[in-house]
Amino acid sequence: MPTDPEHANPPYARAHEPFQPVATVLAVILPGAGHAYLGHTRRAIYIAFGVLGLYLSGLLIGGIDVVDREEDFVWFLGQALVGPIAFGTDYVHQTYFKGIDPRDSKRRSAKPDEMRVMEKGLPMLRPRGTGQGPLPPPLLIRALGRDNELGTLFSTIAGMMNLICIIDASFHRRASGTGGGPGSGTPGARAGAGGGAGGGVGGGVGGGGA
Amino acid sequence: MTQIALLAWRPFLEPISVHEHWWVFLAPLALGISIVWKAVRLGTLEHYWRQVAMMTVQIIVGMVVLAAFSYVFVEVYVRFIADRAG
Repeated sequence: MPTDPEHANPPYARAHEPFQPVATVLAVILPGAGHAYLGHTRRAIYIAFGVLGLYLSGLLIGGIDVVDREEDFVWFLGQALVGPIAFGTDYVHQTYFKGIDPRDSKRRSAKPDEMRVMEKGLPMLRPRGTGQGPLPPPLLIRALGRDNELGTLFSTIAGMMNLICIIDASFHRRASGTGGGPGSGTPGARAGAGGGAGGGVGGGVGGGGA
Repeated sequence: MTQIALLAWRPFLEPISVHEHWWVFLAPLALGISIVWKAVRLGTLEHYWRQVAMMTVQIIVGMVVLAAFSYVFVEVYVRFIADRAG
């Protein structure tokens, strides 16, 4: 029997926890919100800091271009797990930074020698002219190579880590005391505290409710 | 990224030029993973930051060991069997 309290309660005790639909929905909407709803405020702050920190770091490294539902769909599946923030980022990217290629009428990012011009209410991609004066900087610079890899990796891992948090919030009991304190840890730990000494699977079954 | 390029950098619209120093970003990546993982897994948050630091170091050491293993495998073992075969 391990003596370390951080490892005293095995994760399989989780199977005996009741499903928390409201916490699940909140966790999907905003990272950490599910745990905050259940009263685990400190955990919620750490989760939000970690998930949003990873996601925003990815955007800082690779730019908004790393979130692209159209051109990087497989990676977007992972990024979408961050929640509506990822969908909002993709919406901004698709709507305000992409243009329509006049040759095939498909929407895509501008190449370095192209610019986005509004024509009849449609964002069209046109060659950047060689008119008088310096050319304006391109609206968006695409991430290539390592920039793109790292940015995509950060934002996708953020989504995958948030999936773990959503599952955890879905089978978490409401904290009896303040968030993050003793007894508000893993399900086995909290159930054990409610059902007497021991914890673990047996404590999880017989543990006190919310 | 040079100083002038950094001044002209537009966050979220332009990527950071990390081509030469990409490996530096593995540390914050490991830290972010550890922050979230330990927030979910720990029974109590008493030694939270110590546990996060330990896991971050474990991930980085693990990646370095895997990189070293891959290097030895490709540069030594594969060359060795290639020489033997032909």
